Amino acid sequence: MAEPEFLLDSNIRLWVVLPIVFITFLVGVIRHYVSILLQSDKKLTLEQVSDSQVLIRSRILRENGKYIPKQSFLMRKFYFNNQEDGFFKNTKRKVVPPSPMTDPSMLTDMMKGNVTNVLPMILIGGWINWTFSGFVTTKVPFPLTLRFKPMLQQGIELLSLDASWVSSASWYFLNVFGLRSMYSLILGQDNGADQSRIMQEQMSGAAMAMPADTNKAFKAEWEALELTDHQWALENIEEELMSRELDLDGMFSKELPMGIF
Amino acid sequence: MLRKVAKLLYFDNWNVLIIVFTEMRDKLRKWREDNHRNSEQIVDVGEELINEHASKLGDDIWIIYEQVMIAALDCSRDDLAWTCLQELKRQFPGSQRVKRLAGMRLEALEKYEDASKQYDSILQDDPTNTAARKRKISILKAQGKSAEAIRELNEYLEQFVGDQEAWHELSELYINEHDYGKAAFCLEELMMTNPHNHLYCEQYAEVKYTQGGLENLELSRKYFAQALKLNNRNMRALFGLYMSASHIAACPKVNATVKKANVKYAAWATNQINRAYQLAGRGTKENKCSVKAVEEMLESMQITMS
Repeated sequence: MAEPEFLLDSNIRLWVVLPIVFITFLVGVIRHYVSILLQSDKKLTLEQVSDSQVLIRSRILRENGKYIPKQSFLMRKFYFNNQEDGFFKNTKRKVVPPSPMTDPSMLTDMMKGNVTNVLPMILIGGWINWTFSGFVTTKVPFPLTLRFKPMLQQGIELLSLDASWVSSASWYFLNVFGLRSMYSLILGQDNGADQSRIMQEQMSGAAMAMPADTNKAFKAEWEALELTDHQWALENIEEELMSRELDLDGMFSKELPMGIF
Repeated sequence: MLRKVAKLLYFDNWNVLIIVFTEMRDKLRKWREDNHRNSEQIVDVGEELINEHASKLGDDIWIIYEQVMIAALDCSRDDLAWTCLQELKRQFPGSQRVKRLAGMRLEALEKYEDASKQYDSILQDDPTNTAARKRKISILKAQGKSAEAIRELNEYLEQFVGDQEAWHELSELYINEHDYGKAAFCLEELMMTNPHNHLYCEQYAEVKYTQGGLENLELSRKYFAQALKLNNRNMRALFGLYMSASHIAACPKVNATVKKANVKYAAWATNQINRAYQLAGRGTKENKCSVKAVEEMLESMQITMS
């Protein structure tokens, strides 16, 4: 069945489509700056700093342990993994699950998150719906089923209208997600206007799951360190070195600013 | 249109250089990024910039104040240090970075008690502040209390295991106390975190060589070789390789294969040393003498190997 071809008034393009794009974009930029203003500093405790550095040291031991003598490597591995008093075996950190009730800073963070992101979206979506209602704004390029009609054609009461023709509110929501890449272009990565990223974070659980992780991280490091062996990189170093003459090129040229020692 | 103001600057007794404002600022930035400690030059250039071109610097001026203040403390220019500190205090009241600078000035005036109190107040506000802790340890070092400094530094490192500067400082303190075993431990930490730095390998090898004993000599020979592999031009490592190899070969307890291998290593090292010295002068008269001197030295160091 051939679809009726609509010809939309070009005024719609001028006065509806473009303004909605601008509004969405500007609101996003404002949200970004507001989120910067409302940011609270995260204060790290001494224990957290210390633990993170210990984990780094253990990782380096695993990766670069082959550059130190076997005895030293074993000494350090023993310090970390010993059955009785190894660091990873013994150190248990107090784990406080950060629920919103006990941790007041988490509560304020959540509130701020909601205020900056969800609230404006709802408000502006509603306002656009009210202002730009009663006409069709645009057509999505793919066919949709009739189920989408009440959702996408808010103010239009035409039963026979194709579901592909959508109202301005849906154009607004399309913009909110579409302008994400524009934001990263203009505001740099990790900007406060990135709506979908924030929603993803909220879905993946509490952002501050670090305290519980410390114990798990220790356990993981312990296992990894148990498995590592010491393959000394300097086993045959003399043969490798003396297989060819030293490259003394440019050693005594006048341009070298620093000493060779 | 840019108006560039030129100014004569004396960098040392014999050189007079004409430097332009933008060049001065860029030089300061380069010294800041490379962590150079040429305090007299920094004071000269920095004082010039602060007095004449303050308006053109904009926000750069604060970091230049910090850089110039530390250099001024090095050169005993208390007046300049005081002015810089006042400006910074006015702009950033209550900042911990400025408090640390105030503490450093007290240290320079040898008012160690007051400086210590200053750092303690910083640590009360922010227990994770590493700069204040390190300044307290350097107070102990300045007062010559090396045993206490070592103890404090150990405690610091227990909390902040990743601080490479601190490991290096601790290794230096241990070397001064002739505790080579512990110094070697610190250098091992540094070697692990910077496996491609030939200087740490060389320093480790030197510490092992100083410790003595057959095992340590073998280790030192290996690490001299590693330093050479990382940087073919490290002459000190080359000489170290020669000495450790000939020392092992001269040891009475080694068996014949080990001895033969070490004699071979020492011979190779001698070859390379000669090559380097010949490259150095390429036939100039002074060089001929120095080449001969090197050969004689190497022969005299060769303990009989039969």
